[in-house]
Amino acid sequence: MSLTAAAAKGTIDARLIMPFVNSTRNVLQTMLGLVTTIDRPRIKAVPAPEYDYSAIIGFSGKIVGVVVVSFRRETAIKMVTAFAGEVVEPDTSDFSDAIGELANMIAGAAKKDLGAVASISVPTVILGKGHIVTRPSDIPCMVIPCSTEAGEFAVEISIKQA
Amino acid sequence: MNYDEQIKQLTISVWDAILRLPIDEDEAPLPAGQRTLSACVHITGAWNGVLALTCGDQMAAESAAIMFDLDRAGVSVADMQDALGELANMIGGNVKALLPEHCHLSLPMVVEGMDYSFRVPGSRLVSRIPMRSGEHRVTVSLLESDAVAA
Repeated sequence: MSLTAAAAKGTIDARLIMPFVNSTRNVLQTMLGLVTTIDRPRIKAVPAPEYDYSAIIGFSGKIVGVVVVSFRRETAIKMVTAFAGEVVEPDTSDFSDAIGELANMIAGAAKKDLGAVASISVPTVILGKGHIVTRPSDIPCMVIPCSTEAGEFAVEISIKQA
Repeated sequence: MNYDEQIKQLTISVWDAILRLPIDEDEAPLPAGQRTLSACVHITGAWNGVLALTCGDQMAAESAAIMFDLDRAGVSVADMQDALGELANMIGGNVKALLPEHCHLSLPMVVEGMDYSFRVPGSRLVSRIPMRSGEHRVTVSLLESDAVAA
């Protein structure tokens, strides 16, 4: 389902999604020098594993919900290396700090574009293959699959106007 | 500041009020190789951090069956996640009252899996209370973050 189709069905507000698409592109270009290709968005009807590492940011205030940036392991290693300018061992606190900071930048830039009075939480980083992150059941989840030279990742957006 | 005793008492109160189940401190860790769920609520404002409630799927299923008046066999994963999220939200709401004024709680977020760890970058563990309810292990953790939420 395309973003427009999903929005037309009333399942998700496209105005809440586009800032994340733009901020993802901008943050990866600026911080990592990577061009991001956005693939076909889809609604995630049932919680299911996405990738190996996830950074979760909570929204509160006029916008509520969560945004998850989920990385394939190999993608995360390449991105963190580019971000830190040196090889960082996976599964270390420096590694999760970097993953969390990338997600924080994406969510922070999107929040600015959303124009609403909202707060974002500090990130929580989940490390481990096959983990499932659930969201508030009354808020639909839109998955934005992304691909770069460094590999694949996804931005999962599950927010709504309060 | 050490919140161990308050968090323990708050957890006992929530378990008693909502689940009508006993729970108390117990040093035994969560068994390895078990499917676990972790429910986290973020606290932002004058104090920043995360309250996390972790238990095995059997404890989560029992909680869901009690809270939503379901047959244990009819409990879905979503029911377990909702139940644990709600329990974390209640404990987090009570913990918030111990913290400086002008703090906000996020909606609960629940992670499920076999072999995962969660970290809050830039945070330090303030309290970690291993507990036991019947045969089930439960851990309540409070992490304080130096980072200020945006």
